[in-house]
Amino acid sequence: MNWLKSAKVIAFAVIFSSPALHADEIGFAEKEELTFGFIKLTDMAPIAIAYENGYFEDEGLYVTIEAQANWKVLLDGVIDGRLDGAHMLAGQPIAATMGYGTKADIITPFSMDLNGNGITVSNEIWAKMKKNIPKGADGKPVHPIKADALKPVVEEYRDKGKAFNMGMVFPVSTHNYELRYWLAAGGIHPGYYAPHKSDTTGQIDAEVLLSVTPPPQMPATLEAGTIYGYCVGEPWNQQAVFKGIGVPVVTDYEIWKNNPEKVFGISAEFAEKYPNTTIRLTRALIRAAQWLDENDNANRPAAVKILSQSNYVGADYDVIANSMTGTFEYEKGDKREVPDFNVFFRYNATYPYYSDAIWYMTQMRRWGQISEDKSDDWYKDLAKKVYRPDIYTQAAKSLIKDKLVQAKDFPNFATEDGYRSPQKHFIDNIVYDGKEPNAYINKFSIGLKSGDKL
Amino acid sequence: MSIVTLANKATNNVGIANSLQHILTKYLNVFIAPFLGILFFLGIWSIAAQNIQTSLGVFPGPSAVLTQFSSLYEEHLAERDKADAFYERQEKRNAARVAQDPNYVAKVRKYTGKETFLDQIITSLITVMSGFILATVIAIPLGITLGLSKILNTAINPIIQIFKPVSPLAWLPLVTMVVSATYVSDDPFFAKSFLNSMITVTLCCLWPMVINTSIGVAALDQDLLNVSKVLRLPALTHVRKIIIPSSIPMMFTGMRLSLGIAWMVLIAAEMLAQSPGLGKFVWDEFQNGSSESLSRIMAAVLVIGFIGFLLDRAMLYLQRLVSWDKSNAAL
Amino acid sequence: MNPILDISHIDMVFPTPKGDFTALKDVNLQINKGEYISLIGHSGCGKSTVLNIVAGLHQATSGGVILNGAEVKEPGPERAVVFQNHSLLPWLTAYQNVELAVKQVFAKKMNKKEMQEWIEYNLTLVHMDHAMEKRPDEISGGMKQRVGIARALAMQPEILLMDEPFGALDALTRAHMQDSLMEIQAELNNTVIMITHDVDEAVLLSDRIIMMTNGPEATIGEILEIDLDRPRSRLDLAKDEKYNRYRAQVLEFLYKKQRKVEPMRKSKTENKVKTPITSNL
Repeated sequence: MNWLKSAKVIAFAVIFSSPALHADEIGFAEKEELTFGFIKLTDMAPIAIAYENGYFEDEGLYVTIEAQANWKVLLDGVIDGRLDGAHMLAGQPIAATMGYGTKADIITPFSMDLNGNGITVSNEIWAKMKKNIPKGADGKPVHPIKADALKPVVEEYRDKGKAFNMGMVFPVSTHNYELRYWLAAGGIHPGYYAPHKSDTTGQIDAEVLLSVTPPPQMPATLEAGTIYGYCVGEPWNQQAVFKGIGVPVVTDYEIWKNNPEKVFGISAEFAEKYPNTTIRLTRALIRAAQWLDENDNANRPAAVKILSQSNYVGADYDVIANSMTGTFEYEKGDKREVPDFNVFFRYNATYPYYSDAIWYMTQMRRWGQISEDKSDDWYKDLAKKVYRPDIYTQAAKSLIKDKLVQAKDFPNFATEDGYRSPQKHFIDNIVYDGKEPNAYINKFSIGLKSGDKL
Repeated sequence: MSIVTLANKATNNVGIANSLQHILTKYLNVFIAPFLGILFFLGIWSIAAQNIQTSLGVFPGPSAVLTQFSSLYEEHLAERDKADAFYERQEKRNAARVAQDPNYVAKVRKYTGKETFLDQIITSLITVMSGFILATVIAIPLGITLGLSKILNTAINPIIQIFKPVSPLAWLPLVTMVVSATYVSDDPFFAKSFLNSMITVTLCCLWPMVINTSIGVAALDQDLLNVSKVLRLPALTHVRKIIIPSSIPMMFTGMRLSLGIAWMVLIAAEMLAQSPGLGKFVWDEFQNGSSESLSRIMAAVLVIGFIGFLLDRAMLYLQRLVSWDKSNAAL
Repeated sequence: MNPILDISHIDMVFPTPKGDFTALKDVNLQINKGEYISLIGHSGCGKSTVLNIVAGLHQATSGGVILNGAEVKEPGPERAVVFQNHSLLPWLTAYQNVELAVKQVFAKKMNKKEMQEWIEYNLTLVHMDHAMEKRPDEISGGMKQRVGIARALAMQPEILLMDEPFGALDALTRAHMQDSLMEIQAELNNTVIMITHDVDEAVLLSDRIIMMTNGPEATIGEILEIDLDRPRSRLDLAKDEKYNRYRAQVLEFLYKKQRKVEPMRKSKTENKVKTPITSNL
């Protein structure tokens, strides 16, 4: 039994070392009863698994997990202390620390997953788009589908004087940036923000009007005709297929291969006040992530079963299983293998890279959420403040020592500087180097560049 | 057999037939008619359900909902088992920790798993009763004061008329903000979510009680007032012996209205605030969008309705116990 | 002999939107201890107003009422009222209704035991001892009125005011109540002012009948001394010449001298008489 094992380790430490704990040894959690928030999305899985598999309890943590109504409520919960930590959009801790929206110091010691989102359009839009998409030998559309195919449809609506509305989940969400990236890569302008003029609608110069809808309500909003498409995490793209109300056209894996997605956010104050608790909860989450990806996703069906419980994601097993077990259904019947659609552990998915944080900041600058030019150092300093690989490293090292994980599955902690090597796999083939954010911003044809101000 | 006995028997038979008819009519009224009504409803429901296609599949009929009831109950039992295991593990862990850390004060923490349907029902009932009782404690004295003083009544009536129609959904954000700003405690006795729902319920169900009580007091029979005057009853005795008893029927009318409102408001508040309870259950299921969600929501709808009905009956029963005016409290 | 009650030149003016309405004008009446007085007159002649002024429920615009040498300014138990509509508290039993009054009036003079005996004595007096634990909605109209009378008697008033006490009862019950009242009166010899519409009742019960003119500016028209021996029996009196003469005199006053042409539509006061629940002012 795991708890017994760790108890032994700790007992050993108590008996054979001085009463003050050894520097490498993590003390007992200062706060044992914790409440974590999440949004009903499959990528909350590490939290559910850490709970259900008893990893939290192994750390002496008694965790209550609560679904939240939307991202704003969730962030407010972490800020006002109602929640001790939460499954967050990668952009949320950055934006909060920066002061875009609610100002609060939120940090993240743990990245929750890679990929996992998709863009879905309604059946009506799909019928119009489909004509513009080349077909492969098997008669199926060639993937990845670019927004070039959507452009004529948007223009048709514009000529008719109809607004083209699409949904995303939050202004600083991955989905907002991915949807914008995809649209802009296809020559469609998604609109600018101008917070210095109190314009936070993000619809300045927009050809497609993006608005916020909480993830679980996406399918219903699409069905109601309020929006023509949306970008959201799973299971809400597959839900559209099952309900027969829409067709996913592209996954974020195709927009940017192995893009960082959710993070686990806690307040900086919490991390400072309860350092042992912070490391311990990170340990539990790392173990959960490892379990999710173990043996080529062998545990995924078991994970799906847990996620389909009404208190977690609650959607049908089949809907969640679709993406979680490595396949993705586009048009009804067009089911394709996407083994890395959800990555929880491999490719160092859980390590909080500074470069991941900086990518989100470049997109915030590109769309005007950061209204003025900032130096490369500014980007790097902010990333350092929010992303905390130091905590992650402590947790991972102690797990390696406890033989619960293997060192080979982690970056080389001695040399790791927190920046991934330049990344190439974007849908528009633009290369991203986290060390040079300003140079990167200038590469886009649509978007603000150095010196631009609205 | 003589003709007389035959005749007697015939009259007897008529008598028996009459009383039989009487019993039948009684049963028809009490049992058979409602039973037929429900049967008819179930029939219409199942036929209609089969013909409503939603994106989550066919609308649940009675049998689907019945299945959900049993599966909700099974989930409840399963969760209880998990809770037992949780406490057992915790006990062992606490013991292990105390063994190597004698200063540690072992604490038994409440089960951290999900609230089952039954738990949610109980949470909702506790919340609605707390909110309602708080409202009663405020409304009845306020109503009596307003009923006694015409000037005060004229002064406060506009405020009541403005607040009365306010939807709970409008109150809720304000209540939430105020509660989180003012109710700061490291180890709160009440959960904030509970306070939010409870105060919202109180604010919404206050008014019918205030209005009805004040009307009941103001409408005191002039003769009874004269009796009190002739007896020179002191003010307090007048209120205690004359005003309060005479307005009890109106108070109960207000209380029944209020309890009905309280229950409706609570479900809405729980839905919006995501505070534990039946409203949250409904909202969570709506968000889950699983193939079972609709039948679970339907099950919750039936339970909500049934509980609302029971609450009203309970109030009526209380009124029969307390009030002198039985005509208002007929079941 | 000094009168116990002196109604001295009272006027009663009600302000209305159309100007002042003078209901009573110079009503002047002295009543001796133990006297039984009836006020009779057409609806709206202000009989009830006179009674209410004596009770202290209304204040005269000018003039005043002196009881035992003290001016009447407010209601009080020494001027107990029997209301036309019994006015029992519906949530209390007959016993409790009387108890409320007794507790209030004799709080310092009686102990618990004495109170109980006094309440029971008064209820027995009105023949209600068998239904002491019944609530008003469980007993008949006549019984309710008996309890109302018991409550008033239990206060041991200086003067008993009765506002059409039997007006809402059927003829048989009324006769029965009148007989009861005479019995009680023979025993207690109270000073009584009673309002009535009923000529027979007035002659049967009274020592003096005060006949009032029609309003506005109603006042005392004639006073008739009833010189009949007590105890009186309605059967014997029916053939009594003196009785019939008194009766005729009252009738003549009401239907000849003060003949009132009623409008086709029933007046408000007329309605009040028929429906016992409305208040009687």
